[in-house]
Amino acid sequence: MRFLCSLIVSALAAFAALSAPAAPLKIEVQLIWGTTNEVSPNAEHKSIGPELKKKLQELPLKWTNYFEVKRIDVDVPSAGVATVPLSQKCRLEITDRGHSTIQVVLFGKGEKVINRTQALPKGETLILGGNAPGATSWFAVLRRLD
Amino acid sequence: MDYDAQLKLQSYLDGELPESEAREIANLLAQDREAVALFAELRNTRQALVGSEVGVALPESREFFWSKIEREIYRLEKSEPAPRPSSVFAAWRRFLMPAGGVAALAIAAFIGLFGGSQGPTHEMAVADPGAFTYHDFSAGTTLVWLTYPAENEFADNFE
Amino acid sequence: MTEKDYSSAEDQKLVRVAQKGDMAAFEELVARHRDKIYARALSMMRNEQEAIDLSQEAWVKGWQRLKQFQGEASFGTWMTRIVINLCLDQLRKQKRQRTESIEAMTEESGGVERHMPVLTVNPTAGLERQELRQRIDRALSQLSYEHRTVLVLHEFEEMEYKQIAKAMECSIGTVMSRLFYARRKLAALLADLKKSD
Repeated sequence: MRFLCSLIVSALAAFAALSAPAAPLKIEVQLIWGTTNEVSPNAEHKSIGPELKKKLQELPLKWTNYFEVKRIDVDVPSAGVATVPLSQKCRLEITDRGHSTIQVVLFGKGEKVINRTQALPKGETLILGGNAPGATSWFAVLRRLD
Repeated sequence: MDYDAQLKLQSYLDGELPESEAREIANLLAQDREAVALFAELRNTRQALVGSEVGVALPESREFFWSKIEREIYRLEKSEPAPRPSSVFAAWRRFLMPAGGVAALAIAAFIGLFGGSQGPTHEMAVADPGAFTYHDFSAGTTLVWLTYPAENEFADNFE
Repeated sequence: MTEKDYSSAEDQKLVRVAQKGDMAAFEELVARHRDKIYARALSMMRNEQEAIDLSQEAWVKGWQRLKQFQGEASFGTWMTRIVINLCLDQLRKQKRQRTESIEAMTEESGGVERHMPVLTVNPTAGLERQELRQRIDRALSQLSYEHRTVLVLHEFEEMEYKQIAKAMECSIGTVMSRLFYARRKLAALLADLKKSD
């Protein structure tokens, strides 16, 4: 009898696990400003961490200083889409494609700028970048938080 | 001294005058102070230019500069579709790092093709129109550089 | 050839090997001559990024045409001719797009250089090489592209008048008058720079 009860409880637990939705992907998105200036003129900008600084400095880029403009942590639902506003005119849409793969679509002024599907396993970084006024640059840095 | 004579003086300096005219100019230089002064000025300017290009260095690392040439050679040899109107190099040029600031970049886009026992440590590709992708496998970083959007998209964040 | 052999091989040998498809040999040639090719492009274009782009295109063209190189000139000279032609093409395209300034039109129509006072003091005497190069850079940037080009082709490339005329698609007389103007203007600019120190 006891064995039968254990079997039933195990079966119910397994069924519950199968039915529950998969955990969302936790992704950190940082909007970064790249410049050769030592100091940012915008007092709200923050310094970036040493790990990210090292990554950016190892890239073949001419800028030497980077500042965090904003940071947004987003939960991307399994097989769903999360929207990340980067500025008044730009946003990212991130879709979980499963198996540590995400689809990233950047919209600028309502137009699709790029649609990229990319593996983003833990510990790896995806960086989108482009030019900004005054010979500076912008970057959207995506990393897994889970 | 009229303009024609001035030009002949220059041609004499440059060794471009036929012999008979060269003798005329040599006579002029023996008598005319203005001609002598002008000749000296032209010669000084020419001498100043000699070697003025020496010491000019291309501001990119050897590996990075070569990697772009190599990629373009392979692209042309495979007769891929033509790049966007802004050239392949122009899209990169705006964010290139000066050669002096490059750490060990070791751009080896095609190391694997030349039989290296390890896989490529970096790779560059033009996968999406308007975008260049740079992978740094060892650092686990992928940079996707966009030639779009226009520069003012994030201006409200940076001012 | 090993990598060590490449770095010690003469240009001629590297060219022969590269002509058979050895890209490592060509890469060694690029490394040896890239600064010179870039410097020539920079002298003509006066823009660092354009000079980088055009020198890169020159190298790609050099690879494509390598089998045609028979050693009639040195490899470096052959490559500089390629980059010069690319620069000339680019400058012609830009000229079609550019609005001519009044000064440029005056330069073209000529006349002022005939009456410039002759400089009796050499404005470059006593200058260190680096300082002289900087002054020449600044002065060259102030010439129109036609005058700068004829100066670069004659003084750096050592082309004859008729070769310059062919490259610039103009008459020998035009080459002579542009060269005269460019030299006199350069002398005046160098003298002005010296005065302003």
